[in-house]
Amino acid sequence: MLSFAVGQALQIVAQCVGLVVSLMVIPPITVGTIRKIKARLQNRIGAPLFQPFFDLRKLSMKGETVSKETSWLFRATAVINLSIMLLLACLVPWLSFTPAVFGCDLFLIIYLFALSRFFTVLSALDSGSAFSGFGASREVTLALLVEPAIVLCLASLGVAFHSSDLCTVFSFTNTAPVPWILWFLAGSGLFLTSLIELSRMPVDDPTTHLELTMVHEAMILENSGTNLALIEYTHFLKLAVLLGLSTQCILHALMTRGIADELVRGVASLVGIGILALTIAVIESTAVKMRWSKVPEFIAYPVAISLLCMLIAVLRWTK
Amino acid sequence: MTLDTYEVIALFAAVAAILMLGTTHLRLNLTFYCLHTLAIAAETAWISYLSGEPQHLIAAAGVLVKALGIPIFLGWIIRKLDVDSDVGTYLPAPLCMHLGIVMLGVSYLLSNQIPGVNGDDATFGATSAIGILFCGILLMLTRKVAISQIVGFLVIENGIYLFALTQTRGMPLIIEMGLLLEVLVAVMITGLLLFNIKKSFEHIDVTQLTELRDQ
Repeated sequence: MLSFAVGQALQIVAQCVGLVVSLMVIPPITVGTIRKIKARLQNRIGAPLFQPFFDLRKLSMKGETVSKETSWLFRATAVINLSIMLLLACLVPWLSFTPAVFGCDLFLIIYLFALSRFFTVLSALDSGSAFSGFGASREVTLALLVEPAIVLCLASLGVAFHSSDLCTVFSFTNTAPVPWILWFLAGSGLFLTSLIELSRMPVDDPTTHLELTMVHEAMILENSGTNLALIEYTHFLKLAVLLGLSTQCILHALMTRGIADELVRGVASLVGIGILALTIAVIESTAVKMRWSKVPEFIAYPVAISLLCMLIAVLRWTK
Repeated sequence: MTLDTYEVIALFAAVAAILMLGTTHLRLNLTFYCLHTLAIAAETAWISYLSGEPQHLIAAAGVLVKALGIPIFLGWIIRKLDVDSDVGTYLPAPLCMHLGIVMLGVSYLLSNQIPGVNGDDATFGATSAIGILFCGILLMLTRKVAISQIVGFLVIENGIYLFALTQTRGMPLIIEMGLLLEVLVAVMITGLLLFNIKKSFEHIDVTQLTELRDQ
């Protein structure tokens, strides 16, 4: 009995260590991978895989310029957003080897994402720059269009499992068998949504600094030094969490029978994030950025997929 | 309660048909059509595996003719005629896609009412088939370019085929081969007709074909 308890405690400690290490390592490496693959696809050698670490270190050692027009909110936002995103990364089951926090309601997750966006927009407006206001306005428009998709994708899984607890949904147990098509659709819907949320290619170009086209970059234009490092790290973390969540959906679609081996699951979730990063890099190398007026047509796709998820979940429930 | 594999594949075909409604880009439309037809061929193969009848021949012919042949032929026509996208649909494409989802819900209610549908077992197959039928109808009603009309016709045909397949677990081989040939001939003829329409009218907008013109 005692040895069982000790074994369980050891497992939880190992899971926590795994979570902390992956919080520090996975987000910058994911971004580095995307940049490296993009460079290779454009026949460039590209920056090394660990370049995001070096960038973060460089930024955090730099001095900071803050406009005298701003209030305390401008500097506080970076810290607030980082803490929200760290909380999210601990709650959301985006890797299969992190400790399961029971009670992470899907609506809590959605509101935490919205809260972080709210502070980003506030700080953009606070800086008083015209471009930041521009970016903030666009970000809010996108958020308005995208939010139903992410809510419905997660809620349809919740309906299928009769629970709004994400850790129950993503627990690889076979208590409520869900057809693979539901997992697959939810995963692809979440992936398309995260392309928009993370301001990746068809909607926003993450590398551009042309004022007319950017959304996310325009909002953080006034930040520098440590603040910028924190914001960048928050963004990397958001990318890893959202990609991890869609990976989990697709893994569940592949493993609807339920795989018991935890090691296989853990490695598969890491490999899945890598594959999605590769997909993003390929999309960004082949697709062109959409005109702003065409973006709603693109967003209609994740919304339609999420509506289909909901329809299938509800119809299956009534069957 | 779980869905059977053949119901899931049928639902996948319906999803691909609905996603087809969301874009006015003709090449993307054809890609989705290819995906949709591949799903239907997979459905045929799966049902042949379940029933033990030689339906896999139909599946192979379907892949060859409908999923590869027709999209390649239509793609060639698109390149020759130099049209990219459908300008001026009657209903905005995203709205049309969401209407398609509503129609999938409606077809679930309908498939419970049809007396021929045998109970719980075939409801989801019938739902997807009627949903695909509605998608084809929406495609034909809202689009103006003649190529979209052809694709809409093909989608309707797929819907009817899927309905027959899921309800009767496969028709006689000779009938299905005949259907396939008929579709192929129809697409070939309309495709060739499009060349002549384009040559004499300089557009392929079906709404303007009602006007008479002297040559």
